[in-house]
Amino acid sequence: MFKGLSLIVMLLLSHPAHAENWPAEQWSTGPVITGPALQALETYAFPPRDDSTRTGIRTDALLVIRDGQLIYERYAGPTTADTPHLTWSISKSLMATVLGVAYGEGLFKLQDPVQTFYPPMKKHPDVTMADLLHWASGLDWQEDYEYAPLKSSVVAMLYTRGHQDMAAFTAEHAEYAKPDQAFRYSSGDSGLLAAALKTIVGPKRYPDYPWTALFDPLGIHHAVWETDATGVFVASSYAYLTARDLARVGLLMARDGRWQGRQLLPEDWVAFNRQPFAHYKAHQDDAVPGGQWWLNRAVDGAAQPWPDAPADTYAALGHWGQAMYVIPSENLVIVRYGDDRDESYQHNDLLRLALKAFAQKVQP
Amino acid sequence: MSFLRSRPFSALFLVLLLALLGWIWQERVALWAFPDIISAYTAKEYCSCRYVMNNEARYCHSYVKQWLPTSRFVDDASSKRVTVSGMGRSNSAVWMGERQGCRLQ
Repeated sequence: MFKGLSLIVMLLLSHPAHAENWPAEQWSTGPVITGPALQALETYAFPPRDDSTRTGIRTDALLVIRDGQLIYERYAGPTTADTPHLTWSISKSLMATVLGVAYGEGLFKLQDPVQTFYPPMKKHPDVTMADLLHWASGLDWQEDYEYAPLKSSVVAMLYTRGHQDMAAFTAEHAEYAKPDQAFRYSSGDSGLLAAALKTIVGPKRYPDYPWTALFDPLGIHHAVWETDATGVFVASSYAYLTARDLARVGLLMARDGRWQGRQLLPEDWVAFNRQPFAHYKAHQDDAVPGGQWWLNRAVDGAAQPWPDAPADTYAALGHWGQAMYVIPSENLVIVRYGDDRDESYQHNDLLRLALKAFAQKVQP
Repeated sequence: MSFLRSRPFSALFLVLLLALLGWIWQERVALWAFPDIISAYTAKEYCSCRYVMNNEARYCHSYVKQWLPTSRFVDDASSKRVTVSGMGRSNSAVWMGERQGCRLQ
């Protein structure tokens, strides 16, 4: 009797594991969610859109995956389910994921000096791959976009002095700190990773590597990744994916690098992505940097950046409101594309409202 | 010292002018590149808006609008080449292919 009962309990407990969903050619859809919590989320994310003043929250796409199934999606403005939307700095987390596959092939180690793979970095011989992944190269980079265009390294890299060879432009920067000592968000650091990857996988495999390593295995068919004139991917800024396809990368991360039966990313790679950079100081940025991903962790005496979301929440974030949130404890992946030209949109607000609408566990 | 006392405003003007010239010299590389930003940004991001994200031309025009003006705009749809002028400079972006998207020339 006891044996039979424990068997039933075991079967009940193990039920979710049996029901593990993966997208095929399309996402399968889960139960349709309705009700006041969803209404509140939509009121927040999709207010009347003002294309003349471009003020306020301007969501292009909002898509939610729970337990591997599509349970919500809505598009606005010109964006549809088929639009490969500009991800801006989400590209950084995508490049880290592509690098993770190369890491799984045993092609490099986190402590390898970048100069091994990218000789112009001989000027900065002690910078390692881990330092770039932490945005802690110590290179004197200025990340402002619109507000300080004269001094902005990123504007110069994308549009003027650096655009032909972005990694070389970055390597020319002086040092302001020793590597691994200080966090400073830098599109230059991310770009150097893409340049290093060229040697890591070899110039022959490189032009197709994001597709063969990541997009094809995940069933992503319409990814675009722009390069500079040297053919190096603009890892900081210029990957384009549909919301549905980006969510596939989110599901890969939510399941610790496993895609169906295959461990595409080593588990220790994902653990590194999700480990806060040790020398990050409270409030240096909007969230806590891990390995090219943003973490909702309480570190250095500060509270969690997004107090209404679980502590295991992490995200890939980009300019003008691009975001993909991964919440493993809720089996949720949320993709939000936008065209926000002011600061109205807040990650914590979106997360609070989305969790109310879609989380199955009771929120604290 | 007597110049300072007799012509205090001229002296101040001279000091400010020297400081300005020093700053221009120090920032000469950034200052020379600065006028390229608006045409390069507009050409590149319009090209990607139109030919990578496949949005309509009208939408893409409003999407790339910034506070700095542009003077000339040519979108050659047959070659998918976008050329923009502004602040005395001209820049082009070209659509390279399905995976490569657009690139600033």
